[in-house]
Amino acid sequence: MMRFVLTMLAALLIGPVAAFAQDQEPLHITITDGVIEPLPFAIAGFIPETPDAADMASQLTQVVSNDLTGTGLFREIPKSAYIQNISAFDTSVKYSDWQAINAQALIVGAVSMQGGKVAVKFRLFDVFSGQQMGDGQQLAASPASWRRLAHKVADVVYSRITGEGPYFDSRVVFVSESGPKGNRQKRLAVMDYDGANVTYLTDASTIVLAPRFSRDGTKVLYTTFETGFPRIKMLDVATASARLLPEVPGTMTFAPRFSPDGSKIVYSMEQNGNTDLWMMDVASGQTQRLTTSPSIETSPSFSPDGSRIVFESDRSGTQQLYIMPVAGGDATRISFGDGRYSTPVWSPRGDMIAFTKQNQGRFHIGVMRTDGSEERLLTSSFLDEGPTWSPNGRVIMFTRETPGAQGEAALYSVDISGRNLKKTPTPGPASDPAWSPLLP
Amino acid sequence: MNRADKIGYGLSAALHVGVILWVVTGGQWFHPKPNEPVVISQVAVMSEKDFNALMASAPKDAPQPKPEPTAPVAPVEPPKDAAPPPKPAPEPKAKPEPKPQALPEPTPKPDAQPDVSALKAPPEPPADVAEAPAQIQPPVEEPSPTVTPDIAPAPKPKAAPRVAPTPAPEPPPEAKTSPTAQPQEAPKPEAAPDKVVEKPKEATAPPEATTEIVTEATKTVDKQESSAPLSSPRPANKPKPPAPPKPELAAKPDTPAKPEAPAKPETPAKPETPDKTETAKSQPKTQERQAAVNDALAAALGGEGSGGTGSAPVGPPITAGEKDALIVDVKQCWNVGALSSDALRTTVTVSVDMQPDGHPIISSIKLVGSSGGSGDAVKQAFEAGKRAIVRCGADGFPLPADKYGRWKTIEIDFNPEKMRMK
Repeated sequence: MMRFVLTMLAALLIGPVAAFAQDQEPLHITITDGVIEPLPFAIAGFIPETPDAADMASQLTQVVSNDLTGTGLFREIPKSAYIQNISAFDTSVKYSDWQAINAQALIVGAVSMQGGKVAVKFRLFDVFSGQQMGDGQQLAASPASWRRLAHKVADVVYSRITGEGPYFDSRVVFVSESGPKGNRQKRLAVMDYDGANVTYLTDASTIVLAPRFSRDGTKVLYTTFETGFPRIKMLDVATASARLLPEVPGTMTFAPRFSPDGSKIVYSMEQNGNTDLWMMDVASGQTQRLTTSPSIETSPSFSPDGSRIVFESDRSGTQQLYIMPVAGGDATRISFGDGRYSTPVWSPRGDMIAFTKQNQGRFHIGVMRTDGSEERLLTSSFLDEGPTWSPNGRVIMFTRETPGAQGEAALYSVDISGRNLKKTPTPGPASDPAWSPLLP
Repeated sequence: MNRADKIGYGLSAALHVGVILWVVTGGQWFHPKPNEPVVISQVAVMSEKDFNALMASAPKDAPQPKPEPTAPVAPVEPPKDAAPPPKPAPEPKAKPEPKPQALPEPTPKPDAQPDVSALKAPPEPPADVAEAPAQIQPPVEEPSPTVTPDIAPAPKPKAAPRVAPTPAPEPPPEAKTSPTAQPQEAPKPEAAPDKVVEKPKEATAPPEATTEIVTEATKTVDKQESSAPLSSPRPANKPKPPAPPKPELAAKPDTPAKPEAPAKPETPAKPETPDKTETAKSQPKTQERQAAVNDALAAALGGEGSGGTGSAPVGPPITAGEKDALIVDVKQCWNVGALSSDALRTTVTVSVDMQPDGHPIISSIKLVGSSGGSGDAVKQAFEAGKRAIVRCGADGFPLPADKYGRWKTIEIDFNPEKMRMK
């Protein structure tokens, strides 16, 4: 009886407290400061599953690693630090072994030669969560395209971890230069985004400038001086055949760029001492004048949806950036900082515009919102110019030229955060890069 | 006699009596004050010869005071007992000062008129002059006319692969990097051989970090530092008299307040020992009662439980310091460097259940809310937050064990607003 009474008494007294303890609200905290540092990852090697795939596996592993570390967002952990030895594609991953070396992502892959093709399969693991990230994938291609396979693998890893779109499997067309500075020979060339697989599209018989890819990557527009005056030519990348676009006699045409759907070309035309923007229908050759200002309008670039055009104009007295509807009309100035702005290029994501800025004797590559806000300068040098966006809108490539008689032009790339500025390897001096869309 | 005559006689008589009484007795009350005694001063008479000798012994180089025409001389009041001067004091105009160029002797010093100045009324200092800083400023060294190039420019963050809220210098090459710096521990020589000897911790240093993304443009835009001052500081006001020191403030350290140490769990009260004098008969009764109380407590608390079944100690509320310690621990593992631009605009709320030892239960980590993004951006942001919890929770979070009930479940808002590219 006494036990019962005491039990009831204690329940009355302590019960609410216990219930309160059980119904505690979660502890709530807010984190607003983090760190920005390369994410460490490990590649447990692409395991050759057939004897003739050993070399391919090694090279493919290297390209995947270079792609990821080249972004500045990842850091590869040296293989000498690995604890677990993964010798087969289906080996169970000991997450603790990879956590111990602070690997946050793990790539396990395999390569085999099957029917004259290279087959690659891989898995991506989130080490600290102890689970696979997404499904495993298998790709196949001809042995000659093994680098594209590697880029595709790296693109998948990059996109799954960062959430950004892929861009490794893309190409860059540029002007390859040779000879002394006073007598430069220029020809068009195309290469992988990382500088590999350079192919020349034109010879050095004439000066070529400012190549631009079509949205599907099959055609290139560029400016040629083969007639003694700047003319626009359209080149088929697959066949390397080119044709001059229709022209108005006594005019100069330059700075062409494809519309997003590839059906139109916007360009600058100098006529009677005045330069304005014009649009041409590719199929019919019909032209339309977009601006009528007595000033110089040039470097047009379409917005991704094709509804607007950003261009440079000196109608205010100095070179500034303007946006107008695709059919022409009132233009809105978006650049208001010190210095001169030129060569604007709309981001593939549509949210930003890259440009060249000249101020106080130095050139900069910068980005701004499409309304001109949040301008950020990413580079600074003797001469930086001509930005072009990666297909995912995360990286900008541009031309940097060094001063002096021995100065040379080279291609550089930089993340839009301003980090990871690096030189893109080319066979020689290079300028005027234009990034292709992601290859199919 | 009529009535009026009676009144008249009466008044007359009363007045006469009063006058007589005043004459007789008034002297005692209204006698005149006696004259004050005359003060007599002893005066020694000096002969003319003695006076001349005395004057000859006086210093001769003392310049004679000259009344300045522009400064009115305060009138000298003659002593009362002194003889009146034969003539009134000469007006300044009566003695025109010779022209300065005609006087070969040096100009009189201001202190040459001790007597007169002593009688001058002290001049009232103007308020604005009294506050003039030039009179109260300590001597200031004149700036050197030459440029001194060794002036250290203001520290600027240099480019580093890691961007963190708190900058960290480049770690020494031999030191391992870890999220927090740790001094090297020496091995304990006195460790008993039968005990497990703990491995001495290696010295670690946080990885080099800067507080902001330093672009090439940022680095080169910086202009040449000049040693010239950019602005002239306004002179300080007249220093106020030092306030009496406050002992309680002086005792405070400069270091920021540390998070409060977790309160020690209260030791359970020892059961009182039964009185030895108590009879053996009463002992079983007491034990039975104690057992009943224990059983009742256990029943009320839900029996033996673990892992947050209600037996967790709730303790006092989590202090701000304890929260801050947890935030600091989590944020150093929250790496947003590989997040997409969209994910950097996404705030996610992540919930995690905790073990009593401060380790997170990995399988319990879940997304409970998000804002600012959708789809892949939320997924990337959640995974970055999850990685932060798992990585930094591997060693256990610094949480007070006696308050486990309050942090049994933790919800963390990962808000990357400050980490966006600007």
